[in-house]
Amino acid sequence: MDFADPFFGISWLDALIRLVIVVGVMTLVVMYLIYGERKLLGRFQQRKGPSYTGPAGLFQSFADAIKLVGKEDLRPRNADRWVFEFAPFAAFIPVFVILVTLPFAQDWGVRNLGLGLFFVFAVLGLNIVGILMAGLGSGNKYALLGGVRAAAQMISYEIPLVISLLAVAMVAGTLNLNEIVLLQENRPFVLIQPLAFVIFFTAMLSELHRAPFDIPVAESEISGGYFIEYSGIRWSMFQLTEYAALWAFSIFGAVVFLGGWAFPFGLEWGWGWQLFLTIFKSFFLIFLVMWMRATVPRLRIDQLMNFCWKVLIEVSFLLIIVNGFFLYYGWSETILGLVNWAGAIVFIGLVYSRGIRRSRAREYVGTYRNPEAATP
Amino acid sequence: MTVWPDTREGTLDVGGFETVDMTINVGPQHPSTHGVFRMVLTVDGERVVDAEPYIGYLHRGLEKLTENSDYRQSMGWWDRTDYLAGMCCEGAYCMAVEKLAGIEVPDRAEYIRVIMMELSRINSHFMFFGAFGADLGSFGTSFVYGWRERERIYDLFEEVAGDRMFPTYFRPGGLTMDLPDNFEHRCRWVLSSVRQGLEDFDGLLTGNEIFVERCRDLSPVTQEQAINWGLTGPMIRATGLKWDIRRAEPYSIYPHLKFEIPVGRQGDVFDRFMVRMAEAYQSSRIIEQCLDEMPRSGLVLNPDLPTTLRVPAGECYLRTEGTKGEYSVHAISDGSNKAYRMKLRSPAFCNLSALREMVIGTYVADAIIILGSLDIVLGEVDK
Amino acid sequence: MTNEEPQQTESPPARPLATLASTQSPNQQLRKTLEDTLAKVHPNTPFEIGETKTDVNLHCPPEHFAALVTTLKERKELAFDMLRNMSGVDYEEGLTCAYHFYSFAHNYSLQVTVKCPPDNTHIPSLTGLYAAALWHEREAAEMFGFVFDGHPNLKNLLLEEDLNIHPLLKAHPLAKPEILQGIEESKPGFDF
Repeated sequence: MDFADPFFGISWLDALIRLVIVVGVMTLVVMYLIYGERKLLGRFQQRKGPSYTGPAGLFQSFADAIKLVGKEDLRPRNADRWVFEFAPFAAFIPVFVILVTLPFAQDWGVRNLGLGLFFVFAVLGLNIVGILMAGLGSGNKYALLGGVRAAAQMISYEIPLVISLLAVAMVAGTLNLNEIVLLQENRPFVLIQPLAFVIFFTAMLSELHRAPFDIPVAESEISGGYFIEYSGIRWSMFQLTEYAALWAFSIFGAVVFLGGWAFPFGLEWGWGWQLFLTIFKSFFLIFLVMWMRATVPRLRIDQLMNFCWKVLIEVSFLLIIVNGFFLYYGWSETILGLVNWAGAIVFIGLVYSRGIRRSRAREYVGTYRNPEAATP
Repeated sequence: MTVWPDTREGTLDVGGFETVDMTINVGPQHPSTHGVFRMVLTVDGERVVDAEPYIGYLHRGLEKLTENSDYRQSMGWWDRTDYLAGMCCEGAYCMAVEKLAGIEVPDRAEYIRVIMMELSRINSHFMFFGAFGADLGSFGTSFVYGWRERERIYDLFEEVAGDRMFPTYFRPGGLTMDLPDNFEHRCRWVLSSVRQGLEDFDGLLTGNEIFVERCRDLSPVTQEQAINWGLTGPMIRATGLKWDIRRAEPYSIYPHLKFEIPVGRQGDVFDRFMVRMAEAYQSSRIIEQCLDEMPRSGLVLNPDLPTTLRVPAGECYLRTEGTKGEYSVHAISDGSNKAYRMKLRSPAFCNLSALREMVIGTYVADAIIILGSLDIVLGEVDK
Repeated sequence: MTNEEPQQTESPPARPLATLASTQSPNQQLRKTLEDTLAKVHPNTPFEIGETKTDVNLHCPPEHFAALVTTLKERKELAFDMLRNMSGVDYEEGLTCAYHFYSFAHNYSLQVTVKCPPDNTHIPSLTGLYAAALWHEREAAEMFGFVFDGHPNLKNLLLEEDLNIHPLLKAHPLAKPEILQGIEESKPGFDF
């Protein structure tokens, strides 16, 4: 059966069935992502994480979901009623729509769009609307700050995100996600476009409001940001959005950069192996995101914007220019990869060395480690 | 840093748009106010234009209670002031009473007191590292790192005194009871774990680029400002002033112990953090010396004390180096069995009074970590 | 501004450690300097120098207080640049305010005691000289009813803003918190 073939030959029934499958799978995956994140953070933080509800706490997310559905749906008196109530859906639907286009295996997916990459960019931008609605409609100053921070951050980081993906599209020569995956049958694009991957991963963290870019939801500053006034089912919609977006982005990253279902022996070993590859790669990216969350502190909003506008955008434009030269003159892909690797290493090295240079921490650190050393 | 016009009155005309300053209420229920502290920030976008702190949500009338209870009864109130380092507060209170009454303390008790006070200091500093990391947004990891060592120190306190946070272990004239048998072994084990904990914090926070970017050059304080604002403790040492009451106006057995006074350079948030880090290490050095030198046996409570402690009339201002700064007690007695007046000079109270000057002109996110770097304990601020 | 390592005190061998009596005690050198300087700068001020158990204690009337503190801060041989504490005391014959100053340059510690007359609680504010006095004075004002002339913002700090009582006065009743809240008629427990 091909992508385009409708189930039972009826197109509306086909659409319904596919969407129901996506919603069901997504909800289940999100529940276990939350469980997995809590377990992982527990490991990073020398504690156990959820361990009482069910074997090894496996049913914890179900218990939470039941509790959230049972909670009272509160609305502040000075909230803008319809904006407040529709905001979670406006935030959720774009993420859900992205999942529709992603290829999980060769013939597994909802729709195979010719301009899949383009569709994903276009729909992603709509996510901001829901978050701004929540921020402005809540009638809360923390929510307002959070919403405005989120808008500024997401709109800014959309640009390097799109450009880094365009760099890959230039190399691939297509915007169809399935064809991009097929082109990576022998080597994933991360090997020849590592700098694009670094930019994509950074921008993805920012779009997802994950540490160190969790400024719009900063718990210790504005205590939750735009969803501070939400409770019960509407709050859980935001939670669902957050984790569904995490999953969608990770699959997207796995498809575009890590070879999706095709890279090692995808075409030979059948659909089971392909599905495993996609899921495994996306979960690897999710693991990286969670690891970051457990480790790094949060940036400040001006540092975040500076990093985007003064560093990431320039680097990504440079990447596109370099790619253009290579494609125009038809130079070898190996050299393109080498140049990109050099760029990625220099980029990470510069960011890292800046922190070390600015800290002058070693002098102090030496003081406290060596009791006999003179104080500075 | 942008210099804001001095004459800001509500609205400001920027390019045809009218912008209005917004007030944000932070606290008393807020994740980063370290208790029940409240500040009203006036912000222009993300910039803090004005800040007004409100305290007193935890005011329990410590001084009035002390005036109306016996010298030994009010012990329990005093270790509830700086509740992260209860033993330091007990130490200051007991020494003030001893100073007034002229009570001698046995040597062994002096050593045990110093061990306990320094363990409390480590305990409080670990709480600071953890909470400061959480303020910066390191999602609980630093918090759990800090709690791990604190848990071990609290276990030790429980073995010694029977209680974890509020041990009420000291008495005017000595200690309640002697140490348990295996104390030295356990204490050395705790110290090794403390040093491991410091290494862990060093790896988690100090070397992190984002941590450095956030904390370096943030709200630098000069020595003159620090002295004028009455900052003490790690806050003033971060400015480079080598002033520690344990050295400048020594008490107990500190003149006999070897330790360094760590100082910073420019008094910014990063220096405040690093000074506390080095200080916790020096405390572990002090404890090791005490364990080596202390008398192996002997009395821990002055045997000549009467059943009812009547303190001759007099006045003293006893200075100690608490965990947050100068923790001093101004005590006045009138010859009865109750203090006539006991005033607590709370270090966190004085440090907090400089908050407004420190946060103006910074970002909202910075205001939070500047507040965190003051290391306030509301039990001590509000008395 | 460095502080030398303090000298280890010579004590009889039966008690080798420094006791409190030997460590924090009134500085006789400060007392002498203070007497000389004040006699020179303020010949007509009726001050009086005594000692507490830990500090040199300078008694001075409130009307000369501001001028005296300016001298203490600005004279080079004294240089009391930090106001480390201030506490009100309610003696039966009138309110008293004790200020503790510290000099980083000389490692001096000084207590200045200002005794108000029974019917007058006005003391000049030190906020112009020491920023640290801002909160200390607010606290003393709400707890004892001092009026610090020249303080920019003398509202309640620890107590509720509209609670006009002075709890640390000896005359303030200790028990019956209901009286303070004006609800002495109500039954114990909550009304639902």
